[in-house]
Amino acid sequence: MSKSKIQISKQKFLVLSFALCALSFTLDCFARDVNFEITVGRHKVSLGEPLELNLTFSDTQNMPALQLPPLEGFQLRYLGPSTRMSIVNGKVSSSITHVYTLLPTKEGIFKIGPFKLEYNNDNYSSNSIDIEVVKGPVQGAPSESQQGSEAQDLSDRIFLRVQAQKNKIYLNENVPVTAKLYVNRLGVRDIEYPQLIHEGMSLAGFDQPKQYRDVINGVGYDVIEFNTNMFGVRPGEFRLGPATLKCNLIVRKEPQGGTSSSFDDFFGSDFFNNFFGRYETYPLNLKSPDIPITVLALPEENRPQDFSGAIGDFDMEVSLAPEEVKVADPVTLKVIIKGEGNFNTVNPPEIKSDRNFKVYEPQAKQEKGRKIFEQILLPMNAAVKELPALYFSFFDPKTAQYRTLTKGPFALKVLKPEKEEELKIIESTRPGMPAFEEKLGRDIVYIKDSLGGLRKKGEFVYKNKMFLWLQMFPLLVFLLLFGFHARSEKLRTDIRYARQLKAPGKAKQGLNKAKGYLGAGKTREFYDTVFQTLQEYLGDKFHFASQSITISIVDDNLKGKSYPPQVLDQLRSVFSDCDMARFAASEFSRADREKTLKNLQEVIDYFQRNKVL
Amino acid sequence: MRKKKSKLNQWVLAVFLAGSCALSCISVAQAQENSELRKLFIEANFAYKDSRYEEAAAQYEKILKKGYENGNLYYNLANSYFKKGDLGKTVLYYERAMFFMPYDSDLKSNYDYVRSLLNLGLPEIPGSRFQRWIDRLFAGVSINGLAYFLSFLYMAAMAILSLNLFLKRFRRFSMPILILLGLLFLPAALSLNRKIDTFNNAAVVISKLADVKFEPFETATTFFKLPEGSIVEILGKTGNGYKIKRSDGKLGWISASSVEAIKE
Repeated sequence: MSKSKIQISKQKFLVLSFALCALSFTLDCFARDVNFEITVGRHKVSLGEPLELNLTFSDTQNMPALQLPPLEGFQLRYLGPSTRMSIVNGKVSSSITHVYTLLPTKEGIFKIGPFKLEYNNDNYSSNSIDIEVVKGPVQGAPSESQQGSEAQDLSDRIFLRVQAQKNKIYLNENVPVTAKLYVNRLGVRDIEYPQLIHEGMSLAGFDQPKQYRDVINGVGYDVIEFNTNMFGVRPGEFRLGPATLKCNLIVRKEPQGGTSSSFDDFFGSDFFNNFFGRYETYPLNLKSPDIPITVLALPEENRPQDFSGAIGDFDMEVSLAPEEVKVADPVTLKVIIKGEGNFNTVNPPEIKSDRNFKVYEPQAKQEKGRKIFEQILLPMNAAVKELPALYFSFFDPKTAQYRTLTKGPFALKVLKPEKEEELKIIESTRPGMPAFEEKLGRDIVYIKDSLGGLRKKGEFVYKNKMFLWLQMFPLLVFLLLFGFHARSEKLRTDIRYARQLKAPGKAKQGLNKAKGYLGAGKTREFYDTVFQTLQEYLGDKFHFASQSITISIVDDNLKGKSYPPQVLDQLRSVFSDCDMARFAASEFSRADREKTLKNLQEVIDYFQRNKVL
Repeated sequence: MRKKKSKLNQWVLAVFLAGSCALSCISVAQAQENSELRKLFIEANFAYKDSRYEEAAAQYEKILKKGYENGNLYYNLANSYFKKGDLGKTVLYYERAMFFMPYDSDLKSNYDYVRSLLNLGLPEIPGSRFQRWIDRLFAGVSINGLAYFLSFLYMAAMAILSLNLFLKRFRRFSMPILILLGLLFLPAALSLNRKIDTFNNAAVVISKLADVKFEPFETATTFFKLPEGSIVEILGKTGNGYKIKRSDGKLGWISASSVEAIKE
């Protein structure tokens, strides 16, 4: 795609975007009331020193420039329009300002305005302002070289103020508190809720802020107002604030390197870079001065007995329904305390249970400007004719006096129940107990006389090492028993294993017996024992029937396996010695017998040390 | 040989005597300290009877400072604070006593009464429905009681498994018994875990009305307020503030001076 085609596409996109924005602003304008005001940079100027006059229409950006009449004492020149848009807490506000230059031509005090405009069948009227023109220089007036400078004193154009409705308040008295952010012709965004130091006082959260215009000393400000309430929690002298508020200031920067008309920039290929590069945000942390607050204790003088801390200006409404009931049927008493004040301190008039009424705890519901209490009462006998008068005492901070509101007594007709019903409602009483509802006192049970067993702090048994180690013991016992049981089972079911296990023990017994015969010189018995021992050992070790084992086992079963030939020879030698000794025992000397025994021992040792194949 | 044996016997005797001496010294020292603590307790009780509640509380706290505790001590201390009018500390010490003797009817009665005075109602137990059911099931059992109970269940299971190995006739009964033991063990273990968690992390609001803020700064916006005696869970600490969680799950920061942890 060629460069020119890209430029044309960009231009079309920009025009479309601009048209959509303009349309939305126009629609926005119709949805609201437009405010028209005039402001000047300063009210006192020197003769011949130009002065800026701004005609500002709020909540619209579609207002033509006025054709102003000639102004006495000034020459007038129109510079052009300036539009502005801000977004605070999601609410969009916009304005258009037509800027004129006034050049004072003579000394004196002149009145500018009010101006009137008729546009689209609507009439708009502005305020008026006074300007003083003097001969000499005006102190503090910015010089020409300073006017275009960026080093401006922001504290005159954006500042925060806190005020309370009253500076002397009573304890728990609810007082409105306002924090106001003033902004003069600056772009501001990301405005946070103010934070307020409130030692000695309790502060509720801030409500949704309000936005409006205000003029202070002829200077117009956009005002954002935050409202809340506070009340003092203890008597004394305190300082409310300072309040701090964070926001971002949007500052327009001039493009670098030469001047160019705004139309060239708008339709040029560098539009995007220039547009987004012209604005920068600076974080601001505004701080308001603090204000003194005195919290006064409520006076002791003339304090009513039933006063329970309510403070404000209240009225009371009481209703009782129904007005005709049977004994022990419920009656609803509704008490509405309404007015202005701290509803956290408002409690309902006290009604105590007695022989005439059983009283339940009231339920409270808080609404804006009033608090509703509903309480159930049960008339306990037909002699009840009325509910006695109710009293509500409170302290009125405006008059600094205690007041007591009285309502009632309230007529109540209590009917006797039907005879069947009488049986139902009479409560069963134990002998000696009073028939009416007994009111029991309530307090804490007495202390413990005995200290009991003490222990070190934090020493719970689950942390005790001895206790934890003790838990291992049953597991160890179980594992031991399990191992023992498994071995017993194996010995019982695996005969081969059992025989192999018993083989060395039996062989040892046989060898010891043979040694005994050797020492005693009993040749026949010796060789019989050797033969039997060898038979049983080989039978157990190789899982053969012991009685069937002869010398042939060497060649039939053992030769093929990788046993050393020396061991097999020793085995053959023992077998042949035993066979020969059966017939010619006397031919064997002691040395021969010892050799036989030694061979047998070595064969057994070999098979014990090495795995049976 | 005989000489060697007699020497060995002498050594054994010497070690035995030395060990016995040491043990008896420790016992004597322990008994002495115990009697001092009991003396403090009795003095505190006398002060309470004479309505010198400040003095009674101070004496009870001396025992605590020596590093000892039990349910009766916390109970009496709570009663003293109640008489002094400090309901926040009353709730704190009743809560501590609950970990030692949750079955004590006097303690339950006093605790319910104090909560009613503070309009707090029953303490809200955080957790799922199952967890709250488990808490109610073992509400009257202390931490030590649960530990012993779990140990007993475990040992019974080991004994049954051991008997199972050798007694064939027993085997048909062993499985249902083991299942029953398991069904008791699991909730008891969960309850013990929750009680230990609560003991380690719970705290009581001791100031009249505490601000709970969004951030741990004095100038931060207040999120909600907690009345005296409210129970919260401590999640963390920074500087002079605790991060806490209310029973309905709301989180916030509270000043360390407004709240005291149940675990000292």
